[in-house]
Amino acid sequence: MRVVDRIKGSVAYRSIFRLPDAVTERDRAAAHWSSFLLHLYPVKVRRRELRFGYSAFLGVASMVLFGSLIISGIYLMFFYVPSPANAYGNIQSIQTDVAFGQYIRNVHRWSAHLMVIAVAAHMAKVFYRGAYKPPKEFNWVIGVVLLVLTLLMSFTGYLLPWDQLAFWAVTVGTSMASYVPLMGETTKEILLGGPSVGSATLVRFYVLHVAVLPAIMVFLIALHMWRWRKDAMLTVDAAERSIAAEPVIEEVS
Amino acid sequence: MDDKEPVVIDNHRVLGVVPGKPAVGDRKVLSEDDTVMVWPHLLVRHAVAALLVLLLVMVISLLFDAPLREIANPTNTPNPEKAPWYFAALQELLAHFHPLVAGVLVPGAIIGGLIALPYIDRNLSLSPETRRVARVTFTVFLVVWIGLTLVGFAFRGPNWSWVWPWNEWHGEL
Repeated sequence: MRVVDRIKGSVAYRSIFRLPDAVTERDRAAAHWSSFLLHLYPVKVRRRELRFGYSAFLGVASMVLFGSLIISGIYLMFFYVPSPANAYGNIQSIQTDVAFGQYIRNVHRWSAHLMVIAVAAHMAKVFYRGAYKPPKEFNWVIGVVLLVLTLLMSFTGYLLPWDQLAFWAVTVGTSMASYVPLMGETTKEILLGGPSVGSATLVRFYVLHVAVLPAIMVFLIALHMWRWRKDAMLTVDAAERSIAAEPVIEEVS
Repeated sequence: MDDKEPVVIDNHRVLGVVPGKPAVGDRKVLSEDDTVMVWPHLLVRHAVAALLVLLLVMVISLLFDAPLREIANPTNTPNPEKAPWYFAALQELLAHFHPLVAGVLVPGAIIGGLIALPYIDRNLSLSPETRRVARVTFTVFLVVWIGLTLVGFAFRGPNWSWVWPWNEWHGEL
């Protein structure tokens, strides 16, 4: 008996993964449904979706980059205090004293830029495929919200190193808020926690960056994938879809 | 029947060869709309895509260090003062239009337009030929936006004046 089979037959393995022996497709589908992670995926997809040209795997890329950002970001949080007195020095010591600090910071920075590109490209690809059409309209809307959240995540993170680049980029970015009609100055003060970028801004951006925005994003990504799974096997053909979009109401005579 | 040695394959005697189609019928020619199991077909591809993305991140992170300038100084404004690259298009618009237009109306219209897109475009067809208006509109927007982003990111120098990136580099990541 092979080692793998012995592990799979063990009581402990069976208690964790409650899978039937994968003999038929039905068994494999059952295993799929009983897995917490796999249940975000449909059990079957059309063969066209396997091709690179269908999606260029940009949704997967966005997801992977988000994961990379969470892991590298949590590591950086151990060594960072969001106050003007500490922040810059913390970044310096992350780069020089912390084990793999420079590398992890690089991963976080470049993943963030790549994620903005990946999410935008994912959206363009979905547009050209026409995948926003009924019944997937609302999933497109969730996607647009996720794009905005990605930009906000990147922008709030931009301030945290508290160097000249961070300070002035955020000063320029938030100055636009003061042009909102009627409540411009109020909007700006809510964003900055004061008339200009300062210690209150740093705390606000930090809390948004590490808690509020990621929580909203995780929820919306789960919703986004769940709706994708639900719609995975829906009609592709225009004629079929016109029936699905406009249900025929039969007259009762 | 003559007494020939029986034909043996894998220790099994071949008793006869039957003409005609196999009992299970012809091999089915799969179409693009036929379904396959996500495990393993789609998940294996996703895993490869994920590894390639991580490899890219790893290589970039080993080759290039994230920038860190001198400590923030509210009294020393750099020139040019640049927003992050994904807002460079907006900053470029800010140089040409009233801030209310460039900073509030345009970004609001873009986000609102993207959200409204599936409710405006009610054409159900997926074929590119019948979606000409939608495709052209979106492509024009995309090209203009990428162009403005490039200009704001790489072609603007002190006092937002035009510079050639190969002469002076002012792009910040």
